[in-house]
Amino acid sequence: MAGTEPASRSPGLSSRRILLIAALALAVIVAFVAVQSLGSNAVYYLTPTEARERHIGPRQLTRLGGLVLPGTLHYDPQSRLLTFGLGDGTTNIAVVGDGAPPALLREDAGAVVEGQFAEDGTFRATTVIAKHDEKYAPPSPGKTPAHGTP
Amino acid sequence: MSWADLGSAALRAALPVAIWGCGAAAYAAAKRDGRGLASARWSSLLALVLVSLAVVGMEGSLLTHDFSVQYVAQNNARETPTFFTVISLWAALEGSILLWTLVLTGATAYVAWRGTRELPRLATAALAVLLAMLAFFLLLVTTPAADPFVRIDPPFDGNGPNPLLQNHPLMALHPPLLYLGYVLFSVPFAYAIASLVLGEGGDRWLVATRRFALVSWALLGVGIVAGSWWSYAVLGWGGYWAWDPVENAAIMPWLTATAYLHSVMVEEKRRLLRTWNLSLVITTFALTILGTFLTRSGVVNSVHAFTQSAIGPLLLGYLVAIVVLSVGLLLWRMPRLAESGGVGAPLSREAIFLFQNVVFVAATLTVLLGTLYPLIAEAVSGAQLSIGRPYFDRVEVPLALALLFLMGIGPQLPWHGASRATLERQFTAPVVAGACGAVLAVVLGIGGAFAVLTYALAAFVAATVVQEFARGVHARGVLHGEGPAEALANLLRRSGRRYGGYIVHLGIVVIAVAVATSQAGTVQVEKTLAPGDTVAAGPYLVRLVALRDAAEPQRDLLVADLAISGNGADTRLSPALVFYPNSTQAVGSPGIAAGPRDDLYTILAAYDNRAKAWATIRVLVIPLVSWLWVGGLIVGLGAVVAALPQPRRGIATRRAVEVPVAVET
Repeated sequence: MAGTEPASRSPGLSSRRILLIAALALAVIVAFVAVQSLGSNAVYYLTPTEARERHIGPRQLTRLGGLVLPGTLHYDPQSRLLTFGLGDGTTNIAVVGDGAPPALLREDAGAVVEGQFAEDGTFRATTVIAKHDEKYAPPSPGKTPAHGTP
Repeated sequence: MSWADLGSAALRAALPVAIWGCGAAAYAAAKRDGRGLASARWSSLLALVLVSLAVVGMEGSLLTHDFSVQYVAQNNARETPTFFTVISLWAALEGSILLWTLVLTGATAYVAWRGTRELPRLATAALAVLLAMLAFFLLLVTTPAADPFVRIDPPFDGNGPNPLLQNHPLMALHPPLLYLGYVLFSVPFAYAIASLVLGEGGDRWLVATRRFALVSWALLGVGIVAGSWWSYAVLGWGGYWAWDPVENAAIMPWLTATAYLHSVMVEEKRRLLRTWNLSLVITTFALTILGTFLTRSGVVNSVHAFTQSAIGPLLLGYLVAIVVLSVGLLLWRMPRLAESGGVGAPLSREAIFLFQNVVFVAATLTVLLGTLYPLIAEAVSGAQLSIGRPYFDRVEVPLALALLFLMGIGPQLPWHGASRATLERQFTAPVVAGACGAVLAVVLGIGGAFAVLTYALAAFVAATVVQEFARGVHARGVLHGEGPAEALANLLRRSGRRYGGYIVHLGIVVIAVAVATSQAGTVQVEKTLAPGDTVAAGPYLVRLVALRDAAEPQRDLLVADLAISGNGADTRLSPALVFYPNSTQAVGSPGIAAGPRDDLYTILAAYDNRAKAWATIRVLVIPLVSWLWVGGLIVGLGAVVAALPQPRRGIATRRAVEVPVAVET
């Protein structure tokens, strides 16, 4: 109203059409990126046995849940290399983590690890989560961890 | 009679009161009956008194450590500090829903006594809707699934609050703010439904609830920022946002509510988007219920989902009923919602607002997709999976930048369309500022294309805001002879909605810069130290002084004393591991030295539990992260300015002030 005449006073219909096209284009792009990112960022949650059965290959981001096997937990404070075996009663997998273990990661107790399998079949964990809270059920496939330190 | 008996009795008495009030309000709205309205009003007030008594009963039970109440036994212990005892009201499901019910009762009483004076019939119908919702929540808290007053054989001592919830005073702020935000949005929703039921195609419902929507939106937004601050200060991972399902549940209604606050203006000024606005209100409200359902039912696992609960199906039923009824009503009344006129040119304010709405909805839908995809996948294929953070970062960051861009141009364009001269006048300085912002980011070495783009857009938007304020102050100076300070105060007081909005935009800019910088520029090192050893992190030196045990009445700690030097710092930090008797899980408590330039964030990651001979310390230097909380505060202040009642002004003043300042009508 401040004395300015719109430069492009196009009729309502065509400007509505421009908006509609812009909105549709945006929707298509967003939908495409979303669906594509969804596929590449889905992290499957498996037991060690399921991981073996499905032949999960290297570079596939995976989350494994199981028990820390007795006598296998080792953390070297100087190299900060964390190693332990993770099992579900049938299959055991060697886990190698880089960095300090979460407080109270213990043997014979539940743990969830996220990372990828290496070529040699060991699991390189980027995240290790201890599952201890008595409010939660012991680790079973199908339950994502309740809380932890990413 | 114990506190719990009082609370339990009050809750049970409130249910029939709400049902009666709902019937009375519906009758009053249908028959325009004064006695019905009076009855509904008194019912609302009585319900407020009764639910308040129930909250008093719960607080009394908590403070007297009455462990015969299951909720108290599970969420409180003799040694719990009084502060955390008081806020244990929202430490778990049952108490949270009680608090929710109290807020809803308060909003209902407000509509009953104030709202019905302004718009008698519409507000009375809205009151019936609110009382129906209240009846549902009262039904919920009196079923065993969510009854806060279930009694048990009292144990000697209670379990104590969830360790994560008794670690930081922000717990006193974050949940109630979110609940207030969630619940207050019931009011615009109730008015929208009332308007549809009565067949009023007009905008009165929208004008009447504008302030409610704004306040609800602001509380939700500030609550989200407070929550990310809590996560940062408590969870010990150095981050503040993880795209956790429940974080997503909180941000989704905030996104649609933000879209709504803007599209409301289009309806007010141009009488467009009626169906769209109703849809946004319904969607926002449905998303708040979805958020509660996700948080409280245990269908998704997150830091917030305490336990599986039987109220899941009830909440899901409520959600489905609300969506089906609202959409049905909307379709039924659609013919009456005809719009007059069309959108102006593509470069008009309404066109940009509309496009901004589309982007907000796209952001909401993609967050929703990522949040619910694991549920869908499990239902379809039985596979257990989660959607990682990269999905959300990849999809939402570009959308957020698009919104930042639109935030800079939308308010600068006139309604209907802009001339070339207007475009030059409005955008020359901001575009220059944006270029300077990009150069600044490159010079400072803030890495990544997204970070540079964020700096450019932030400078662009900030310049538009500064320009608006400068022009407003200048115009008042010329026309009224006011000094800059007086002119600024008058701008905020007399045009609070507009200038408050600009302040909100400024807060969002601050948040955007803080997020971009902290995400791009964080330095992280981790090292195992013996006492006396030092680790360098960015410009800082961190020395482990000692590892020691500490005991507090309700918890034990293992503390790493750190001495910080370098970069002008000379301070001590004490990250710790905290052990609570009710949990075998130790809770990390980070040591943080916050500053305007960067935060030094230290975590005790591991320690030698035999001889205390070493500790693994993780150190993060996180630039500008404190500005994230400051930005949240600015958003809140802007919302206060925008929500305050504006003095009535004469036509002459209005014309004199606004014409030179604004390009809008």
